[in-house]
Amino acid sequence: MLTLIRREIRDHIVYFIAAVIFSAILVAFITATRYNLDWFGSAVFGAFSVPLLVILVLGFSAMGVTQMYLDRNRKISAFLSVLPVTRSRILTARIIAGLLAILIVLVPVTITATVLERIFAPPIPASSGYTAEILTTVFLMAFACYCLGLLNGWTANKIAPTIGALGLNFVLVSLVFVKGFGQDIKFLLVLVIVACLIRTWQKFMSTSL
Amino acid sequence: MRSRSNYLIQVLAAGFIVLVFLSLSLFWASWTCKSILADIMPLDYRTVDITPSGLVPADFESDPNMLRRSGAHAHIIHPEAPQSLGFMNYFLGRSPAGRHSDVYLLKYDNEAWHWIYFDSSTGRIVCRYEIKERMPDATIKRKMVQIYVGPEGISETPGEDTGRFTSPIVDISDIGWGRLTLYDKKLRQFFAVKFRKELEFIRGPQLPEDTPYRPVDIGLLSKNPSVLDLYWMPPDIKISKNNQDRTLYRSGKTHTPIRERDSDYRADKYMLVLDESGQIYLLDRETLEFAGPAGRLPAPETFFPADKRVTPDDLLAYRVLPMILKEDHKYRGLFAAVVSREGTALALAVFDEKGVCIESEVTRDNKQGVSSSSAVFFGTPWAPVITIGKFLLENLHPPILSLASYFTANSFEAGSGHRAMLLLPNSFIAMKGRDARENIATRFLSALLLILPSIVLAILLAIRVGKDAAIVGLSRKTRRLWLLGTIAFSLVGYITYKLTRPKITLVTCANCGKPRRPDTGICHCCGSKWDVPELTPPAWRVTNG
Repeated sequence: MLTLIRREIRDHIVYFIAAVIFSAILVAFITATRYNLDWFGSAVFGAFSVPLLVILVLGFSAMGVTQMYLDRNRKISAFLSVLPVTRSRILTARIIAGLLAILIVLVPVTITATVLERIFAPPIPASSGYTAEILTTVFLMAFACYCLGLLNGWTANKIAPTIGALGLNFVLVSLVFVKGFGQDIKFLLVLVIVACLIRTWQKFMSTSL
Repeated sequence: MRSRSNYLIQVLAAGFIVLVFLSLSLFWASWTCKSILADIMPLDYRTVDITPSGLVPADFESDPNMLRRSGAHAHIIHPEAPQSLGFMNYFLGRSPAGRHSDVYLLKYDNEAWHWIYFDSSTGRIVCRYEIKERMPDATIKRKMVQIYVGPEGISETPGEDTGRFTSPIVDISDIGWGRLTLYDKKLRQFFAVKFRKELEFIRGPQLPEDTPYRPVDIGLLSKNPSVLDLYWMPPDIKISKNNQDRTLYRSGKTHTPIRERDSDYRADKYMLVLDESGQIYLLDRETLEFAGPAGRLPAPETFFPADKRVTPDDLLAYRVLPMILKEDHKYRGLFAAVVSREGTALALAVFDEKGVCIESEVTRDNKQGVSSSSAVFFGTPWAPVITIGKFLLENLHPPILSLASYFTANSFEAGSGHRAMLLLPNSFIAMKGRDARENIATRFLSALLLILPSIVLAILLAIRVGKDAAIVGLSRKTRRLWLLGTIAFSLVGYITYKLTRPKITLVTCANCGKPRRPDTGICHCCGSKWDVPELTPPAWRVTNG
């Protein structure tokens, strides 16, 4: 499994490098915002973070599309199948690699946000829920978009996955504007992730390589 | 068996994805329609004025030097403002002093944090504030004090047991004057803390379970202030410049408002309590006992006339403004303004000091004589087009969810209805569900008429799915399920079918000549097996001549 994950990372190293760079940008953005904006300007902070959120989730979706599209068209899984590897392991390794990329972006951001909250936020327990709620939603949104990318990428057509994934991602990201960062959006996103993974799994397992 | 259950899981997964994406797309399309309707809504449809206000004594209103009579003014700012969407609502609601926030005050002043918040882990309200002590050398020393308020009293140390609040409703309007009043829903008691000069804790009597009081809001009663504005205009009386009253008269002016404005309002004896039934009561600020009714939230005129007794959850926004004259500080009555669930109608009512409604007004189209909730859909140029667009978009929604919206029309809080994707409490069918005029059967039939396009579309799509499923060779049971699913979910069912349809290249059946599935033992059209018995040649022959 580790070999498969390493292979996935090596094959899509561009996305991992981009994740590191994006993570650094986000950390710098959050730090700068905290030092320059009033603590109560959370709405302003939210408005600034929206474009970054869109870029983030589109990036992960693109990663999912690329992983599946290249596999299908370069017959990577067909090649791997001659080795003692099952298809389910290939797909699991792919999903773990995607999760790693998401965590590369979000773990430093979470640490930074927590540290800054400890430094700047008033020491009252009632104001500590923001960071956890927002970052959980962003994580689920990024993973949902990644799963959508996986679902859309498994095709021989070049335009359909690009346009389809792009459109669907914009629609899905708009869910944040409709529902905010509460419990109901998390529930919906978990269901979307599960549904997308089931569909991807079924497609990947049943299609001839 | 396993492949059958796998197929079911695939269909459910695909169906859910389609449902989410279609509902989300329809939500934005419908939101755009509602926003345009709100934008083109004329001022008449969103404004209500009551003049004279009815709460100022007649001797002032009939003064010969009167320049302008007193009045109350309410208007809808924008019902589909971005604040009503979840993103802004989340930040506004959870920011300090927000509707869903446990932090009632949070400010950084004089290099120290001041706060008042409810600590749900300990069940106490924590107040941190500054006091000034005069020292023997006449200097003033600032000192930060933190107190912990529970239902049993106040403590200055965190360890002391003062009981637990469970779900407090807090009036934050008097925090600036060093007073906090709260009601605990579980304990059914009012509490007040005065903390500015000397600490004082007041505990009201416990409300018996059999009393109708179920407070949901206390103090300055307001919901969604970004949607609704309410203010009162004091009477304007011409005066002579040598008047001795120095407080409100400005030099260089020949006339001035003689009554204090609502922004200067400072309640002395009573505060307002809003009950979950929509009734408003007066609460004695010192004894924390109910002092009688003060009024109730008025009912706006909705598109389909709904129940006249509205509750706070039925309203997108409300504001209540108590009136106290500066001269005697006597409670005179209140103004209550509300916005309907859909944000298309406004009602304003004036109640006297006994809680009797003395004046009420709703938004109307004065030219056509219809309520604003009807006029907004059809009264302005282009409004009918947008309304039809909204209606058609609602009919692309799955009929089963439209019916669920009808049956749950009153179950959702009005604000959350503007963020709803699957069940639509603001759709026409849900409005019909709240119609209070007709009996259940007539109302249901009318509701079915409202989703008739949706039902017709669902049936057409179901026929298409049924035909295709028969060609593909799905079993009779599966076909029936697809038919039912497509009728229930309309477009969602159809798209799901298209996505999960077995992708099989059919071959010609040797027996019936129709296309058949190569992966089944028998032909789904004629039921013959693969090995068709060889045809026996007839004994007769056609010969020439």
